[in-house]
Amino acid sequence: MAWAGAIAVAALAAVACCSLLFLAAGADPIAAFAALAKGSFGSARAIADTLVKATPLILTGLATALAFRARLWNIGAEGQVFAGAMFAYWCQSSLGPAPAIVQIPVIVLGAVLGGGLLGGLAGVLKTRFKVDEVMATVMLNYIVIYVLSLLLQQGPWTESGGFFEQTALVPAASKLPILWEKTRLHLGFLLALFVAAILQVIIQRSPLGYEIRAAGSNLRALEFQGVNVSRLVIVVFLLSGAIAGLAGAFEVYGVQYRLKSGTLSGIGYTGIIIAILGQLSPRGVVVAAVLFGALLNGATLMQIKTGVPSALIYAIEAIILMFFLIAWAFSQFRLRRIDHVV
Amino acid sequence: MTVRLSVKNLSKRFGPVQANDDVSLDVAAGELHCLLGENGAGKSTLSACLYGLYRPDGGRILVEGAEQVFRSPADAIAAGIGMVHQHFVLVPTFTVLENIVVGTGVGVKLDLAEARKRVRALCERHGLEIALDAVAEDLSVGEQQWVEIVKALYLGARILILDEPTAVLTPQESDRLFALLSRMKADGLSIILISHKMNEVMRSDRVSVLRRGRLVGTIMTSAVTRDELTCMMIGRALQPVEAKPRIASNVPVVQVRDATLQDLRGVRVLDGLSLELNAGEVLGLAGIAGNGQRELIEAIAGIRRIDGGDILLDGRSIGGSTARDIARLGVGHVPEDRFKDGLVPDFSIAENVILGQHWDAAWRRGPLLDGERMAHHANASIAEFSIVATGPDAPVRKLSGGNAQKVILARELAKATRCLLCNQPTRGLDVGVIDYVHNEILRKRDEGVAVLLASEELEDLIALSDRIAVIFRGRIMGVIPRGSADVARLGRMMAGASTKDVA
Amino acid sequence: MWSDLLEAGIIVSVLAATVRIATPILFAALGEVVAERAGVYNMGIEGMMLMGAFAGWYANYASGSPVIGFGAAMLAGVLMSLLFAVMVITLEIEQIVTGLALNLLGSGLSTYWLRSAFSDMNNVPGITILQDVRIPLLADIPYVGQILFDQRVVCYVALLAVPMIWLFLFRSRLGLEIRCIGENPKALDIKGRSVAARQYAAVLFGGLMAGLGGACLTIAATAHFVPDMVNGRGWLAIVIVIAGGWNPWRVLIAALVFSFLDALQLQIQGVGIHIPYQILLAMPYAVAILALMFRRKAGRAPAMLGLSYRRE
Repeated sequence: MAWAGAIAVAALAAVACCSLLFLAAGADPIAAFAALAKGSFGSARAIADTLVKATPLILTGLATALAFRARLWNIGAEGQVFAGAMFAYWCQSSLGPAPAIVQIPVIVLGAVLGGGLLGGLAGVLKTRFKVDEVMATVMLNYIVIYVLSLLLQQGPWTESGGFFEQTALVPAASKLPILWEKTRLHLGFLLALFVAAILQVIIQRSPLGYEIRAAGSNLRALEFQGVNVSRLVIVVFLLSGAIAGLAGAFEVYGVQYRLKSGTLSGIGYTGIIIAILGQLSPRGVVVAAVLFGALLNGATLMQIKTGVPSALIYAIEAIILMFFLIAWAFSQFRLRRIDHVV
Repeated sequence: MTVRLSVKNLSKRFGPVQANDDVSLDVAAGELHCLLGENGAGKSTLSACLYGLYRPDGGRILVEGAEQVFRSPADAIAAGIGMVHQHFVLVPTFTVLENIVVGTGVGVKLDLAEARKRVRALCERHGLEIALDAVAEDLSVGEQQWVEIVKALYLGARILILDEPTAVLTPQESDRLFALLSRMKADGLSIILISHKMNEVMRSDRVSVLRRGRLVGTIMTSAVTRDELTCMMIGRALQPVEAKPRIASNVPVVQVRDATLQDLRGVRVLDGLSLELNAGEVLGLAGIAGNGQRELIEAIAGIRRIDGGDILLDGRSIGGSTARDIARLGVGHVPEDRFKDGLVPDFSIAENVILGQHWDAAWRRGPLLDGERMAHHANASIAEFSIVATGPDAPVRKLSGGNAQKVILARELAKATRCLLCNQPTRGLDVGVIDYVHNEILRKRDEGVAVLLASEELEDLIALSDRIAVIFRGRIMGVIPRGSADVARLGRMMAGASTKDVA
Repeated sequence: MWSDLLEAGIIVSVLAATVRIATPILFAALGEVVAERAGVYNMGIEGMMLMGAFAGWYANYASGSPVIGFGAAMLAGVLMSLLFAVMVITLEIEQIVTGLALNLLGSGLSTYWLRSAFSDMNNVPGITILQDVRIPLLADIPYVGQILFDQRVVCYVALLAVPMIWLFLFRSRLGLEIRCIGENPKALDIKGRSVAARQYAAVLFGGLMAGLGGACLTIAATAHFVPDMVNGRGWLAIVIVIAGGWNPWRVLIAALVFSFLDALQLQIQGVGIHIPYQILLAMPYAVAILALMFRRKAGRAPAMLGLSYRRE
C-alpha cells in the first residue's frame, strides 16, 4: 500500500512541477494536461497508439527489472534493443521469401539471440574480467549504436538508392499482424504481456527466480550454499538482454517496418525508469509502461494544441521518477524507524 | 575517592524495549570499574549514552561534578570521555598515525610531524609501543587495540570506556592489556570495562551488574565471587551445559591432509594443516581470530578450494567438490556471520530454511517451488526450535540474533548426518540461547555426527569438547584431550607454542 | 597517407588538441575523484555536464560574458548535485539509480529549455568561443610551447587543478577526513565529526566541476548547444576515475590518453585516410572497456563506494 501512496504523491508533485514548467513556457497548464489526456486515451485510435508506444517499454522495463532484482545494474537495455533489432533483421533478411509462420519465429529468435549475446557479453566482462557492469553496459551501448550506423550508412543494409540511414521496407510476410483493425496495435503487445506473465511466475515461484531474488538481497549467502554465482550472473544478463532485444525487433517489424536508429533510441533508458517505477515487479512494469506510453502518445497532441515542445515529455519522465524515488524513500523511512529495536 | 563520572537515574527506551531503566552509578578517578551483564542487558546502551551516541530519555550525567549534555560524540570527547569499541574502527589503508590524527585538529594543513611528537610523548607516558608508520590492516588484532587506545588518549580522554576488550586476545595479550590499564589507573585515569567474561571482571576494582536494563547492584570485586556475580547477572544460578565424557569412536569422518591455501595477498592462511574429525565426537578448535579457522571450515564445507593437500569425507576425496555436493553428503555448516553468510535477510523463514536446496525435487511441484510444502516445513522447524516469529512468512531480517541462529540451525542440523561445522555459533547470543545451541551440538554428537566447533570462548570449548585442537597461522599446534586442557595452556598454544613446548 | 601523420607539425597539432579535448573530461573526472573518495558514486555526471553546457552557453548568450557563463554552469552543477546529495546522503536512496535519474533529468530539461527558447532548431544562435591565451615566453618553446602554453584559459585551470586536488586529498586535514569516510566512515563519526556534511561538500564540489566541464564544451569548444551533446563524456569521466586509480595524477594521464585517441581520429579524417568515422568514434568506448578489463590491482576503490552510511 505504501507503493500506491508513493506513486500518488509522486504523481501530484510531478503535476505541480510540470505545471510550473508549462507556465514558464507561456502555456496554460490545464489546456496542456487536457491535450495530453485526450491524446493518450481520447479515442480508440489513441488508446491503441498508447499501447503501441507502451509495448517496447514493457519489454525493456521487464529486462531491466529482472537484472535489478538480482542487483545487477544492467544499463545496457538501450544497446540490447539495437542488438536485438539488428540480429532479427539479419536473420530475417537472410531468410529469403517465406511465409509469415516461418518469418515471425525467426524474427523472435533473432531478437532473443542478438540481445541475449550482447547482455551475455556484459555478464562475461563482469564475471571473468571484473569489469563493473554499469560501465560495461554503457560503453557497449555506444559501440552498438555506432555499429548500426555503420551498417546503415552506405553500408550493406542501406536502402538502395536512398539517402537516409535506414533499410528498405521489410517484406509484408515479416510484418507483425495487427490486432485491432484500423489501428497500429500489433502482435508485439500481446507477446510483451505474455513475457510479463511468464516472468512473474519465474521470479516468484521458480528456483531460478529464488536465486535471482536471493542474489539481490545477499549474494554471499548463495555462495556459501555452493551456488555458482558467476553462472547465475551470466544467465541473468542473457535473459535480460534477450527480453530487451525483443523490444527492438517489435519496433522494427511491428511499427516502423524498417530498421533505423531514430525510433529505437531511448527505449532502453526509459525502460530503466519504468522498472524502478514498477518496483521491479512485472505487474508494476506493465502499469508504468502503459502510463508512459500514454505520456509519449499524448505529447504530440499537446505540442500541436498548446505549442509546448514535446521534448518536455522526457523531462517530465525524469521528474516523475525523481519524485517517486523521494516519496518512496520517505515511506521507507517511516517503516524503518518502526523496525528499529536495540 | 574522588568521583569523576556520575550517572544518575539514566533511562533510555527504544520503541517497546526499555534498554536502560533508572540506572545510577559512579566511577572514581584511578578506578577500574566493570559493567557486567549478558547480551541485551543494557551495557552497550549505557556506554553509548555516555559517549554521546544516544540521548538518554531521562537522568543526568555528571563529569567532575558538572552536568553534561552530549549531543554527539564531540561533546563527550570534549568532556574527556573516550571509547574503544568492540569492533575496531580503523581505516585499514591508513597508517597508524593517520588513524590517530584523522578527525582531530583544525586548520587547512595536515601537520603529521607535530602529531607524531604528541603521540610519541603519549606513548612514553603510558609505556606503550606502537609503530606509527605501519599500515593498519597489517597489524595484529592486539596491536590494533593499542592503536584504538592511543586514539582515545590522543583526544584527551580521562575516562576510558573499553567494550569487551579481550574478546579477540590471547590470555597473554590480555595480561599485557591489564598491565597497561593498571599503569593508566595509577596515572589517574578512570576506566570503565564493559564485559560479560568473568576473568576480565574479576580484575576490576568495582563491578556494576546490569540485568534487563536495570542496575542490580554495585559492589567491590574483592568482596564477591564469580558465581555470585553470575547469579546477579542472569538472575538465577547457572547450570552451564557440560558434556558428559564418553569414549570416542575413533572412526574418522573427515580427514584433512596437509591442506595449504594462499589468500589474495599471497599469505598462507592454511599451511600444511592436518586434522581428523571422528564420529560421535566434538572437536573444539581454539585460536585467535584470523589464524585460519574460517578458511579451514570453509574449505571442508566446499566454499573454498584448497591449493594443496586433500580433504576426505568418509574416505572419499572432497577437495574438488562443490559446497552443494558436500552438503548432500551429510555436512552441515553454521557460519560465523549469521546475517552475512548464512541467511538472505529479505527472504522469509520458509525461504531461508531451504536455502541451498532450492533446486531439489523435494521442494518442487513440477518446475515450480511448492509453497505449501515449504510453509509446512517452516512451521515444523519453528515449533521444533522454538523460534519466536510471527509465522513462516516473517522476513528473517526482523528476527533477533538468537532466533536467526535457530533458523540456520534448523536448516543445517537437518543436513548434518555425518559432519557438523560450527564457527562461533554462540557469538552475541544471550545465555538462554547459548545453552540451547550447546545442547543441540551435543545432541548431534550423541547421534554419531562428527562435530567441529570453532569458538573464542575457551571455557565453552573446554566444557563441550572431547578433544581440543589449537590453530595458529594455518597449522594445528596440537590436539589435546579435554582432561589436560586449561585456559592457560590453550592460551600459550594459541600464541604459537606447540604441544612439545607446553607440558 | 599514414606516414603523413608522422610529420612534426601534425604531431604537435594532435597533442595540442589532446590538451584541449581533455579539459572538459578532466574537470568532471577530478570532481568525481573527490566525490568517490568520500564514498559517493555519482553516476549523474553526464546529466550535470549537460546542464552545465546548456546553462553556460545560454548565460553567455544572454549576457555576452563567458565569465557569467561559467558561473552559471557551475551553479547549475551545484544545484543538480545538491539534489543528488539530498537523495543519496540524507534519504539514502540507491546511488546508482539516483544518478541515472539525474542523467535523464539533465538531458530532458536541457533539451526542453533549448526548444522552448529557440523553437527554430536551424537558427540556434552561437556565441563567441573563448580564444587561446598565449603565455609569453613559455609559448615560444619549440613544440612544447604550442602544446602546453598556447591554450584556452580553462585548459590551464584544468591542468593546475590536478596538483591542487592532489594537495587537497593528501596534504590537507579535510582531505584526510574525506578519504577516511570513503574507507570507514564510522572512524570519523566516532570522533564526533559529521560524515554527512563532508559527503555533501565532496558531492557539491563534484557537481561544480561537472558543470564547469560541461560549459567547456560550449563556451570553449563548439559555439552551440546541441541536445545530448555530452555524448558519453560523462561516462568516460567515470571510467577515467577508475582507470586512474582514484589518484589525480593518474587520472590526468588516463584523460590525456583517451583524449589523444579522440584527437587522433579527428586528424586521421583530416589527412584523408578512409576509416569510417563510426569506428573512430566508437574507439574510446572500446578502449574504455579494455582499460577496465586489464586494470592493475593497484588503486583499490574506496571501500564504502556506493554504500550509504548510517550510524546505528
